[in-house]
Amino acid sequence: MHIKKLRIDPQWESRLESIGYGYHSIGGVPYWVDDYYYEINNQEADLIYNTTQELWNMCLQAVEYIIKNKLYHLFKIPSFMIHHIEHSWENDEPSIYGRFDFAYHNSDKTLKLLEFNADTPTSLFESGIVQWYWKKHYFPELTDQFNSIHEQLIHSWREIKPYLKADLLHFTCAKETLEDLTNLEYLRDTALQAGINTKLIYIDDIGWSGRNFVDLEGEPIQAIFKLYPWEWMIHEEFAVHIVNDINKAQWIEPSWKMLLSNKAILPILWELFPNHPNLLSAYFEKPYHLKHFVKKPILSREGANIEMYYDDELIFETAGDYGQDGYIYQELANLHKEETGFSIIGSWIIGQEPCGISFRESDMPITTDKSRFIPHIIRH
Amino acid sequence: MRKKTTKHIQLVLITSVLATCAQAQQAPDAKQRVFMRADSTAAYTEVTDNYKHDQNTRSGSGGMGSSLLWFMAFRHMGGMLGYANNNLHPQSVAGTNAAKAAAFKAQRGGFGKTANSTVKSSAGS
Repeated sequence: MHIKKLRIDPQWESRLESIGYGYHSIGGVPYWVDDYYYEINNQEADLIYNTTQELWNMCLQAVEYIIKNKLYHLFKIPSFMIHHIEHSWENDEPSIYGRFDFAYHNSDKTLKLLEFNADTPTSLFESGIVQWYWKKHYFPELTDQFNSIHEQLIHSWREIKPYLKADLLHFTCAKETLEDLTNLEYLRDTALQAGINTKLIYIDDIGWSGRNFVDLEGEPIQAIFKLYPWEWMIHEEFAVHIVNDINKAQWIEPSWKMLLSNKAILPILWELFPNHPNLLSAYFEKPYHLKHFVKKPILSREGANIEMYYDDELIFETAGDYGQDGYIYQELANLHKEETGFSIIGSWIIGQEPCGISFRESDMPITTDKSRFIPHIIRH
Repeated sequence: MRKKTTKHIQLVLITSVLATCAQAQQAPDAKQRVFMRADSTAAYTEVTDNYKHDQNTRSGSGGMGSSLLWFMAFRHMGGMLGYANNNLHPQSVAGTNAAKAAAFKAQRGGFGKTANSTVKSSAGS
């Protein structure tokens, strides 16, 4: 796995915009990298596939363990949501996607789980569509890419369709964020192609009728995909209506995903699978022997409020507004480093199937919302 | 294994999203069309002819002359807001359509506050 460079296409911005990708740059600085890429081989693709599959199965076992032992306090889950979470798990409420973030160690060819974005993973459009068109532009027919995200999304929606509570699936996200709207509309696009009737509503336009949630036309919301974090929803004014709703609206991702998108899952996994080769040791309290570690809030997004320690000395930290719910301590990982920066691998699981990867690169060894997206190819 | 690339991609919606969000600015002399609706459940009506910005095309009656615009100004907004006569029942805006009345009565804005209060552009991770 290594970086290779290309002669940049002078029309790269308009080429991306023509396929619907409008946030390729942040304040004039490219977020999408068009002129270099990762080349991986088949063995590396196999390794990512198998590791993703194994970790997904371990995560499902961990959810079962948390629910059976009622460990919700470790996740700071409010008590009114516990029954909702348990009900969604027992009823096998459908989940469409998640993204594991891995550190890759080139010398011993190992992947280590950094975290699991199980509730509202973004960069799906970049991974499934933009990088596919990028390969088509630069590498016609000669190479492969670990990327069947698009067909797997359509396949997964088809599988979910018979289990939806209604003929109509609403899709919602926050207003005024092109990134979220693009990802949401991409998901809705694939649901449409799977034969599902859909309707878009911004999350602050969702209404409460006194008995159930309604859309802007007053139509009851019975099944809804949200690109909006559970940990935000459960602290907002309508939170209590989630459990009062007489229609018991079906939320996708389901509420049991709250247990996996919370970094408290990392010490639980380490407890259940100690010394697993794909896990970094992780704890709720910092043990004395842990000298090189990362302190992460259990609820934080896009690399906010991360503190990195080497020999118990703070070497990097990021700003943010998180941390009031507590922290976990995770063994420091070695991130893959090239002359362009530090990279992590995002590995998508869609409808139980690992089906695509992405690379994010930063100048420092913490990945944030400013980290660059790098496309890849598989060289046979 | 699904670690191969997708063979063919077709998109139905997504390009229209960007087309809407990133369209080129209109030429200064292009006609700007204006649409309005009485409430959030009503259909949009084009009221362009009531907004004649160009002095050369301003009609003799001038500016806000249509009954629709007067209705917009004096419609019920709830909570003693706006210029409506409060002796009128607020639900008069919703007419007799039950679904529309339910939509009008629903509380809104109970989700989404966290996104509005954060400086971050995305709610994703």
